[in-house]
Amino acid sequence: MEKIKNNKVVKAIGFNRIILIGVIILLYLIFAVLTPVLHSGADFVTYDRFMSALNYAYFIGFMALGVTFVIATGGIDFSVGPVMFASALISGFCLMKYNIPLPVCLIISLLIGLAFGTLNGYFVAYRFLPSFITSMASMQIAKGIGSVFTKTQSVTWPGTGNANSWYRYLVKWNNIPTGLIILIAVAVICAIVLNKTKAGRYMLCIGSNKEAVRLSGVNTKKWEMLAYMICGLMVGIAAIFYVGAYTTVQPGLGDTFNNEAIAACVMGGTSMAGGLASILGSIIGALIVALMQEGILAMGFTISYQYVLTGIIVLVAVTADIMSRKRKS
Amino acid sequence: MGEVILTMKGIDKSFPGVRALDKVDLEVRKGEVLALMGENGAGKSTLMKVLTGIYSKDAGTITYEGREVTYHNPREAQADGIVIVHQELNMMGHLTVAQNIFIGREFKKGPFIDDKKMNEEAEKLFKQLNIDIDPKATMSELTVGMQQMCEIAKAISHEAKVIIFDEPSAALTEAEIERLFEIIRSLKKQQMGIVYISHRMDEIKRITDRVSVMRDGAYVGTLITEECTKDDIINMMVGRVIYEDPKTESQVPEDAPVVLKVDHLNAGRMVRDVSFELRKGEILGFAGLMGAGRTETLRAVFGADPKESGEIFLNGKKIEIKRPQDAVKAGIGYLSEDRKRYGVVLQKTITENSTLACLEEYVKGIFIDGRKERKVTKKYVDLLKTKTPGIDQLVMNLSGGNQQKVVVAKWLVNNCDILIFDEPTRGIDVGAKQEIYELMNKLVKEEGKSIIMISSEMTEILRMSDRVVVMCEGKKTGELDIAEVTQEKIMNLATMRD
Repeated sequence: MEKIKNNKVVKAIGFNRIILIGVIILLYLIFAVLTPVLHSGADFVTYDRFMSALNYAYFIGFMALGVTFVIATGGIDFSVGPVMFASALISGFCLMKYNIPLPVCLIISLLIGLAFGTLNGYFVAYRFLPSFITSMASMQIAKGIGSVFTKTQSVTWPGTGNANSWYRYLVKWNNIPTGLIILIAVAVICAIVLNKTKAGRYMLCIGSNKEAVRLSGVNTKKWEMLAYMICGLMVGIAAIFYVGAYTTVQPGLGDTFNNEAIAACVMGGTSMAGGLASILGSIIGALIVALMQEGILAMGFTISYQYVLTGIIVLVAVTADIMSRKRKS
Repeated sequence: MGEVILTMKGIDKSFPGVRALDKVDLEVRKGEVLALMGENGAGKSTLMKVLTGIYSKDAGTITYEGREVTYHNPREAQADGIVIVHQELNMMGHLTVAQNIFIGREFKKGPFIDDKKMNEEAEKLFKQLNIDIDPKATMSELTVGMQQMCEIAKAISHEAKVIIFDEPSAALTEAEIERLFEIIRSLKKQQMGIVYISHRMDEIKRITDRVSVMRDGAYVGTLITEECTKDDIINMMVGRVIYEDPKTESQVPEDAPVVLKVDHLNAGRMVRDVSFELRKGEILGFAGLMGAGRTETLRAVFGADPKESGEIFLNGKKIEIKRPQDAVKAGIGYLSEDRKRYGVVLQKTITENSTLACLEEYVKGIFIDGRKERKVTKKYVDLLKTKTPGIDQLVMNLSGGNQQKVVVAKWLVNNCDILIFDEPTRGIDVGAKQEIYELMNKLVKEEGKSIIMISSEMTEILRMSDRVVVMCEGKKTGELDIAEVTQEKIMNLATMRD
């Protein structure tokens, strides 16, 4: 066991990431076997199912990337789901009702995400509010604003074949999962920012011991706020990929995705205590979340089972994290 | 003279690596106030913790009311009538006075708490103490002094026979201290045995009957207060032999320029009008007892806590330090007494900690220049002789002394010329202590640094400092050149109130 753990490749990827990849394969096999049994006539091993799972993985993945930065600083963001919906609703409303050009609408989506991230970051870093409370409040605000703006109507973005539908190519182009390519590209950028730049270094150190970092002469407030802003921006991107995959958004929803994004992070080895984060882990975590929801639907269960499972995953992953920390100290 | 109510005999207590108590004797008599005195770390608190069952003793006997007792927790001691009035108040601010006094043993009427009964009982206690506090008042509305009275009322409500006051006057005003003394006198009349821990000589003279002195975990002796002078007590407190040879004269050249000047600094209750100068190549010691405001002063200088007023001059030029950032930019580094909380990022590597204060110098484009960063870290690991398997080691895996070196490295990497060492060797074992001392000497002699050293260890002050500033209760009470310093002089200044 120790030998495997000390292997160079294993070390580079991380032992628990390799376990998680194993989990993906295992889950896939389980679903492949169980789906035809539990749900007669259904089949899990199809291209459509694969692409459908990826659709789910994209937006959860982008949100998880963002939340990873926040958790790295020792905070938490419970607003990502509703903010994503608010972004998608408002920018979609601009597109459909005000005929604002599509590229501008996409930018609006990013800006709305960024605005909420900035709001969260300001109150947490500069006004010392607990991130839990701040993001709970902005979750409510996001839900409300989305509804107010659209007068509680759902918004449907243009479907494939219509004018202004090129944004869907971001998700899928000629049966090529372009979304996966973009997600991986953004993840690589995130990994570089987190591990190779000053900003990332400060964020991780703040997550470990904020006061020591402050007393080292670092403007901790600025860097802490930046983490929330990055998170917001990622949520804005997630919104584009959500509508790119599903086109329709309903107001007043989105909170169930919070837990899924956070679950993806903690599964991937990002510690809720802050200071330790893995971008690769968050991506793999997002893939597991997506695969699970696809499998649960394929087997003929309702999505409610997914909620139960996500809750359990969070409990197990965080417990494991706390236990491993205790063992170390 | 009253009859003996409590005797502690030959009490031993060791912690890993430290003999905290070494055959300590203590005798408390009915209707008498006994002062327990000693420097920081002399073992006063440890002895009281052994008495009340917070610590278990390794050897010795405690005889209380004629029988041998051993308590396993403060509750047992309390039930027997031995209570402590703590220095820090353990009160719930949002509860009422009566609720606080009877917390954990509330009167009940059926399943409900009987607030009326509790108020009445509290009223009775206050009457007994002859103080006027409304039992229904919310605790947080009271002044610190009144809260202290409530603590005393709480102690008496346990039907106390022995009451221990642990630095009760630290937070009180003159008038409140008067009240406290009145209460203590009335308790004395009620034939209680009272132990009074304090550093304030004048109070000791006024309120106590006998003085027991401890030093370095051992019992030194007991004096009758009336028959002794302040100097007698101080001599007993500090009369230790300094094994490591103390500095006999300042190593700083006559013409060394002043690098840091702090003028009339005020910051809260603990920093009142403090001024001092630090010269190039000097180790300036800050001596004083616990709570003298030394850490608070230097934290304010560093910008870690806000200042109310005062000016700071760096190399003769006035500078504004509002936040630690400003201080770090000006080349001042602060090494906290609590390394783990304020010094290092435990879960990060030596490299990451070393460049924390000036990471911008180790960035190429937008990326951190890993090679440059590792090179400088390696340099300081070698220079400071930090013991580690490698520079990628997490700081939490290092010993206390080596963690301290990582903090030193952080400030050296940032090219700080002024280093503030707050209790530089606290929690560091003897061998590593020596290394830290050598390192500090090397920094001033070879690297041209200037050091401010806060220390509660007399030997450390005498051995390292070129000059000593002494503080007491937020004020600077004196400044001594190392050539004229004696332990007695320092202790005199450290207990001087105006």
